[in-house]
Amino acid sequence: MSYLVCVLLFGLMVGSVGVASNPSPYFAAMGLVMVSGVGCGVLICFGGSFLPLVFFLIYLGGMMVVFAFSAALSAEPYPYGWGNRSVKMYVAAYVLGVGCAWKVLLGKWSGFWGGILDESGELLVLRGDMMGVAAMHDVGGWMLVLGGLGLLLTLFVVLELVRGVSRGGLRTV
Amino acid sequence: MTPIQMTFSTMFLLGLMGLTFHRTHLLSALLCLESMMLSLFLATSLWALQLSTINIATVPMLLLAFSACEASSGLALLVATARTHGSDHMQNLNLLQC
Repeated sequence: MSYLVCVLLFGLMVGSVGVASNPSPYFAAMGLVMVSGVGCGVLICFGGSFLPLVFFLIYLGGMMVVFAFSAALSAEPYPYGWGNRSVKMYVAAYVLGVGCAWKVLLGKWSGFWGGILDESGELLVLRGDMMGVAAMHDVGGWMLVLGGLGLLLTLFVVLELVRGVSRGGLRTV
Repeated sequence: MTPIQMTFSTMFLLGLMGLTFHRTHLLSALLCLESMMLSLFLATSLWALQLSTINIATVPMLLLAFSACEASSGLALLVATARTHGSDHMQNLNLLQC
């Protein structure tokens, strides 16, 4: 299991470098999809059940559909992937930086491998993260109301931004 | 620092550096912001899972809700930019006259 977690952490690194090295948005979105899938695997390896499901569904089902829709707005005739020269240079620089950081920091501060444990002392009916999300609906109701109000405010912000008459954020030119 | 903490710290810093240094499209900047939020989600969920503190499992859910707010506002700005400037290149935003 530790080897599997090592491979998944390496996949997280590779996906992050792929997003950060400034390719075209299509390829960066593919890198983000890879990071979300591999991160879902990491959370599963650490004993989660509900949080990885939410993670995967939100990032893959929600954000990627929206980003694919918006990539049509920023389309370019010749998209450049990771084989382009400047992107390759950024990939090399980021890989070098990450390697140096791991070499320097990990040997100094890491005394142990963070073990995989989800054994809370009490007797639980469900897994811990499911109990936590249930506790959010139980005792954290006002925070949920606040989050809902934030989403409602965001709806009006988006409507004002893209409305397109002279009153909104988008002026007629 | 255990390898998992090192990993999400490095992911956050990679997203931040990619957002800061060199961006051609506005959508690439938004994708870098998304990868930063993704690393924060991983960090808070692993906090809940590794330390078996079940009440902390509420934090990634609320973080996800607010990151949805952030992503939708950024995409609305992207749509507005594409409609006023014709494209979403960041260097077009420096022009005084569109």
